[in-house]
Amino acid sequence: MQTETKGITTARTVETRRLGPALRFLLALVVAIIVLLPVIWILSISFKPVEEWKADPPTLLPRKPILDNYKVLFRIGNPVGTVREMVSSAEPVNRAFLNSLIIAPVATVASVLIGFCAAYAVSRYRVGGNFMPFFTLTTRMFPPAAFAVPLIFYYSWILRNYLKIKLYDTHLGLILMYTGFTVAFSLWMMKGFIEAVPRHVEEAAILDGASPWRVLFTITLPLVKGGLFATTLFVFILNWTEFLFALEFTSREAITVPVQISRYTTAVGEFYGPQAALGIVASIPVVIAGYLIQRHLVTGFTFGMVRE
Amino acid sequence: MSEEQSPLILIRGLRKQFNGLVAVERLDLEIKEGEFMCFLGPSGCGKTTTLRMIAGLETPTAGDIFLRGERITDLPPQQRNIGFVFQNYALFWYATVYDNLAFGLKVREVPKEEINRRVRETAQRFELESLLKTRASRLSLSAMQRVALGRTLLTEPQMFLLDEPLNNIRPGLRETMRAELKRLQQQLGRTMIYVTHDQEEAMTLGDRILVMNQGRVEQLASPRQIYHHPETLFVAGFIGRPPMNFLETRYQVEDGRAFLGRGGLRWDVGERKSIIEEKAKGDRIVLGIRPEHILPMAEARRKGLTGQAVPVTVDLVQPLARKKIVDLKMGDKVIKMLVSGVSPIAKGEELEVVFDPRKMHLFDQETERVIASGFSSS
Repeated sequence: MQTETKGITTARTVETRRLGPALRFLLALVVAIIVLLPVIWILSISFKPVEEWKADPPTLLPRKPILDNYKVLFRIGNPVGTVREMVSSAEPVNRAFLNSLIIAPVATVASVLIGFCAAYAVSRYRVGGNFMPFFTLTTRMFPPAAFAVPLIFYYSWILRNYLKIKLYDTHLGLILMYTGFTVAFSLWMMKGFIEAVPRHVEEAAILDGASPWRVLFTITLPLVKGGLFATTLFVFILNWTEFLFALEFTSREAITVPVQISRYTTAVGEFYGPQAALGIVASIPVVIAGYLIQRHLVTGFTFGMVRE
Repeated sequence: MSEEQSPLILIRGLRKQFNGLVAVERLDLEIKEGEFMCFLGPSGCGKTTTLRMIAGLETPTAGDIFLRGERITDLPPQQRNIGFVFQNYALFWYATVYDNLAFGLKVREVPKEEINRRVRETAQRFELESLLKTRASRLSLSAMQRVALGRTLLTEPQMFLLDEPLNNIRPGLRETMRAELKRLQQQLGRTMIYVTHDQEEAMTLGDRILVMNQGRVEQLASPRQIYHHPETLFVAGFIGRPPMNFLETRYQVEDGRAFLGRGGLRWDVGERKSIIEEKAKGDRIVLGIRPEHILPMAEARRKGLTGQAVPVTVDLVQPLARKKIVDLKMGDKVIKMLVSGVSPIAKGEELEVVFDPRKMHLFDQETERVIASGFSSS
């Protein structure tokens, strides 16, 4: 098995080497352009004035770049007349942004924490046998839209009327939902990382006299730290970009950034400029989180190097 | 009898079953204070499982374990105070040598000053002083072993359990570390149980050896006893290199003379007749003879040994440093003989050999248990 993998690697290296650096660069460039074109397009359109949004033929770069699409999002200064008029019907994004900044991180931390503990129980104590971990995946087996109606009924009828818990259009409502839908990912990802930790290391700590909790937090946790960060980033991205449930379960108070983005396509017209600008702004937290976590991701993915 | 203190470890009817698989079956064992005990057997024989049950890492399916007369079967491993050295050392590889050594003491909430003093003492003893700030993952194998031993030693356990600690180490270094281990055990005077599948390790280290196979105890005795008086076919075949030769024979009595017959060959059993008739279940007897106890006829005569002359053809000669292993064809059976390195025996040669009658082992083919080991023919 190992020699086989080695063989493939060697073959590929030789092939790549034969291509020559220039050709390799060109190939990479073509692929990069194809993949990045939508991103470049968003970036470009976010700086375009209204006339250029639907220009025919379209232009790659804005002829007269402006910042008004961004200004209008946060109602800063006095944007150019047309843009302001066009988006005056939409809410300022401050509320949506704040909502997303609360809902996504809280749901992520909750999901990863529960997922980590569950994964530890499953892989070390065989809790739930083989069935339970598999069963958690049922939350992801149906198309999410199939859950929307029963959940709306559950949230806005049962819980509200009988238990007097308001979950529709609240932070808590979305946090609970996001935690529930991503905890299966957290469990399965963390399960993989925990199982890569040699059991003997934990047993050695136990025989040294450490309690199970101490073993979990001082021995296992540092060893799966990279995996924990990787899982956190992954779940955060899922939560940050989730659209369907946010659309169904919020109306005004708790709307999130993806919902806000969708609101620029209205009956009055399609506001491509502000929509693109908000898309760019929305990517910033993910980019920052990814950058901060990147250092730990490296340790997370080099688990094969663990010496047993 | 009353003066004898209770054994350090007493195991009664220990059994472990994993799903359908029986790993350990009805194990009874006593280990004395200060003893070096080796568990020896092929992989999967249940030796490591037994060790893990003593440590508390596995829960027995049945049976009991007593430590100094106190039942510890259900006691969590943290409360047993038994040291364990894992096959791969299981160091906290992201932490420094110092932190690895100090961990057990920190857990026990020993004051910082004392931890520091004791860690440094241990580091000195194991020549780890210069490595205290090194990450465990960067250590050499021998240093890792010393850290693993030191870490275990620092918690002052009542006994040490070692699970094939020399397994991954290259042959030259292995012998050195084996010697170090033996010296350490003698210095400490502490009980050790050492699990290995390497008979040489078990023979050199153990005061006593427990030979296991398929979850059962084959024999528990001193290394000498195990070599010279194996109790089962398995032990006889497992211990010794090259392994013992086995010949299937039939026990026959003709004109009042009892012998083991195979083809036209006859080995007189002499005064062992009564033992065979008492112990053997049938007439099928396995004759075991070690390669070093087969002698060319000339040499046997010189030593005054008599017995059935066995005609053989030399099939293969493998020279070792001081000996030669000679494969002999005996009909359709190949047996191995060990001769001196200067012996002129060559491939293709036809000769007669004699089995040293004092060194023959007889086993019941049905029960695979020994009937007699070593006897003289009349």
